[in-house]
Amino acid sequence: MIKTIVVDDEPHAREDLTSRIRQDSEFNVIGECANAFEAIRDINCKEPDVVFLDINMPKITGIEMLSMLDKDTLPRIVFVTAHGEYAIEAFEKNAIDFLLKPVSDQRLNITMQRLKENHQPQAMVSEAFSANLKFVPCYRGSQYYLINVKEIVHAYSSPTTGVHLLTKESTQAYHTNISLKVFEDNSDLIRCHRQHLVNPEAIKFIEKLDNGLGRIFLHEDYTIPVSRNYMDSFPAIS
Amino acid sequence: MQEAIFIEHLTPLMQHMLVFLGLAYLFTKTPVFTALVNNTLTWPDKIVIYFVFSGFCIFGTWLSEPSVLNEDAIANTRLIGAVLGGLLGGPVVGFFVGLTGGLHRIYSMTSSIDPVTYVDIACGIATTLEGLIAGLVHFYFLRKNQIERLFSQKIVCVVSFGIGVVHVGVILIAGSIAGDWQGAVRLEQEIALPMLIANTVGVALIIYLIREQKNARDELTGQSIAWQIADKTADIVYGHFDQVSSEKIARIIQQETRVAAVAITDTQRLLAFTGQGDDHHVAGATISSSYTIDAINQNQVIFADGIHQRFQCRVDDACKLGSVLVIPLRDKADKKVLGTIKLYETKDKLFKNINRKLGETIANYLSNKILAGRYELQRSLRVQDQYRLLTAQVNPHFLYNALATISHIIGKQPNRARRLLQDLSNFFRKNLETSGDTTSLKQELDHVLSYLEIEKARFEYRLQVNIEIPESLYKQIVPVFTLQPIVENAIKHGVSQMLGPGCINISSAEQSDEYTLTVADNAGLYKSIARDGVGLKIDERIKIRFGSNYGITINCEPGQWTRVNIRLPKTDKEIR
Repeated sequence: MIKTIVVDDEPHAREDLTSRIRQDSEFNVIGECANAFEAIRDINCKEPDVVFLDINMPKITGIEMLSMLDKDTLPRIVFVTAHGEYAIEAFEKNAIDFLLKPVSDQRLNITMQRLKENHQPQAMVSEAFSANLKFVPCYRGSQYYLINVKEIVHAYSSPTTGVHLLTKESTQAYHTNISLKVFEDNSDLIRCHRQHLVNPEAIKFIEKLDNGLGRIFLHEDYTIPVSRNYMDSFPAIS
Repeated sequence: MQEAIFIEHLTPLMQHMLVFLGLAYLFTKTPVFTALVNNTLTWPDKIVIYFVFSGFCIFGTWLSEPSVLNEDAIANTRLIGAVLGGLLGGPVVGFFVGLTGGLHRIYSMTSSIDPVTYVDIACGIATTLEGLIAGLVHFYFLRKNQIERLFSQKIVCVVSFGIGVVHVGVILIAGSIAGDWQGAVRLEQEIALPMLIANTVGVALIIYLIREQKNARDELTGQSIAWQIADKTADIVYGHFDQVSSEKIARIIQQETRVAAVAITDTQRLLAFTGQGDDHHVAGATISSSYTIDAINQNQVIFADGIHQRFQCRVDDACKLGSVLVIPLRDKADKKVLGTIKLYETKDKLFKNINRKLGETIANYLSNKILAGRYELQRSLRVQDQYRLLTAQVNPHFLYNALATISHIIGKQPNRARRLLQDLSNFFRKNLETSGDTTSLKQELDHVLSYLEIEKARFEYRLQVNIEIPESLYKQIVPVFTLQPIVENAIKHGVSQMLGPGCINISSAEQSDEYTLTVADNAGLYKSIARDGVGLKIDERIKIRFGSNYGITINCEPGQWTRVNIRLPKTDKEIR
C-alpha cells in the first residue's frame, strides 16, 4: 500500500482527486490537507510515501512548502496545478511528476502507474525547489502565523511537544511543524545543542561552564544551553 | 483788423466746439448712445436723436458770440447740432432739429426792445435747411445701403462744409431781399470763415468720436455674444458633426447674433438651417450655393454683401434672404475644410459689420469644438474598449474555475452541479445582455450573485457572503462591471489567500443625493488589490461618467480587513 496525502485548498478539487486515487487499491489516502500548514504537520507525523501537492495555496505555495520539509524524510511529490507557468519551470528542471488541472483520468493513471513502480523520493525534487526559508508557518493557540525567519532568535524541540520558536518581540513561544534540521539547513540559525538552535545575531554573550558545557545569554535572564559537541562552533567567544 | 476779428471769433467758436465734443463724449457713455448708432433706427431712437441734437442747437445759440458789426448777428456753432441731427437721424429728424434750433434762435435773440430782423429770420431758416440737407444725405446713403459711409471723415467734412456755405448763402440772400446787401456781406466777411472752420471741424470730430465709440461697443457686444454662444453650446459634444447637434448649435447662434438665418454644412450637405427660409432650406440637402462651394474649395471666407454681390436663393425665388457670409470650418492641424457656417440677412436689411467679425470668431470656435468633440469621442471609445477588455479578462479564469468545480462535484451532487451550470449560464447571459456602458444596480447585483454562487461552491466553508443592499437603491444606474470585478478581487486576492474562513460583506450607505457601496473582506491584503489595477480602471470609469467627486477608495487594516468603497451619485436625482 502506498501511503498518500492529497493537498489542495479547494475542497471539491481535493475530494475529487482523493476519490479517484482511492479507486486504485494499491493507494491508501491517509490524509487530506487544505493548506501548507496542515500539510507540513501531516507529512511530518504521518510520513507518507507520496504527496499530491497543489501549488497555488494561501499564504504558502506548494513550492515554498518544499523548503520547509526535511530532505531526509521527504516523500515523493506529485505537483498538481491549474497554472501552466509552473509546469514550464518544473519541466525545465527535468524534475518531476506534474499534473495539470483539470486532471484527465488517463494522465492520472500514467502517474499512478509510475508511482507503483517507484515511489522513492527524488532528491532532485528537493534540490530543484530548495531555497532559504523566508517565512515559517507557526501556531500559537488556535491562530496561524507566518513569521519572518530573521525574527527568530531561538528554536528548540521537545520530544513531547515538538518544535518551538521564540522571536525578538514575543515572550511567548510559537509552535511549528518544521523540524530543527530544516532550520539548520535552510536558515541562518546555528545549532548549539541537540535540541536548540540560536540566531547568532541575537547572542549577547556566552558563558563557558566547567564541564565543557556553555550557556548562551540572549539577555540577562534568557539562556540557551550549549552542549559539549557544539562548544567548538563558538571558538571566538569561548 | 480783419485778422484780429477772425481770431477773435475763431477762438471762442473752437472753445464751443470743444465743449460740444466733451458733451458728445459724455453722451457716448450713456444708454441713450445706443439710439444714435443703431443701424436700423426706430421711432424712439429718432426721438432721442431729436432731443439730443436740438439740445446741441440751443446750447450753440446760448454760447454764441455777438458780431462786432451787427448787434443782431452772432457767430455760433448751432450748425453742429442741426447737421449731426440730420446725418444721424435722417431728413425728418434733421428738419425738426433744425426747426427747433431755428425757432429758438429767433425767440431767444429778440424781444420787445430788440425786434425781429432779417438776420434772425435768415438764421432760423438756415438752421432748418441745414438739418434737412444733412438728413437728405443720410437718406441718400441709406437708399444706397451704404450707411457706414456716413461715418467716413471725408464725406462728413464735405457735407458740413457745404452746409456751412449754404448757411452763408441764405444770410446773403436774406440780406439782399431785406435791402441790406452791404450789411450782410460785411457780416459774413466777419463771421463766415471762423464759423465754417469751427463747425466743419466740430462735426467731423464728433462723428469720429461716435464712430470710434461705436466700434469699441460693437467689439464688446461681439465678444459678449461670442461668450454667450460658447457658454450655451458648452455641453454639446460636437464630435459627430451631425444634423442633431448642428441643429442645436445653429439655433443658439441665430438667437444670439439675431441674423435672419444661420446654416451649418459639412463639405457635402446642409446639416442645419434655422431662421427665415427654413421652409425650403432643408437639412440633409446637397449644397447648391456657389458661394458655399467656393468657400469650401478655396478655404476662404466669402461674403455676398447684398449690394455688390447679391445672394439669390436657388431653391425659391421668393426667398427673402439677400446677403450671406460663408465661413469655412477648418481643421488647422490637417489644413482641411470640415464644412461651413453661413450667416444670412434678408434683402431689406444691412449685413452688420459686427456680424462679419463675429462670424469668423464663431467659425473658429466651432472648428475647435468639432476637433475637441472628436477627441472626446475617441476617449469614450477607448473607455468602451476597456470594458470589453475587462470582460474578456474576467471570463476565462472564472470559466475555468467554474467548470473545474462543477466537474469535481458532478459525480457526488448532480443536482447541485446542475444548479451551478444554471448560475454559470446566467452569469454569461448577463454579460451578453449588457450592451451599453451602464446597467442598473439590481442587474449588477444579480450578476454578482451568480458569480458568488459559483465561487461559494468552489471554496465551500472558506467563503461566506453577506449582501445588505436595500431595494430602494436597485434602480440606480452604475457603469457595467462596477461591483463584480471588485468582488472577484476580494476573493482572488483576499479570501482565497486565507487559511481560515473568509467573509465578504457587500453593503451600502445612503446620503441624500449619493450612496456608497462597500465591499469588505476579512483578509486585509490590500497591496495585492492595488497591484491588480482593476480598482483603478473602475475608478477612472466612474469619474469619467459622474465626475471626480465619485469613485473608489480602498482602506485596509493589514491582516484584519480590506474595504473598497464605491461612491456613486443617485442617478434618479440627477435626471430630475
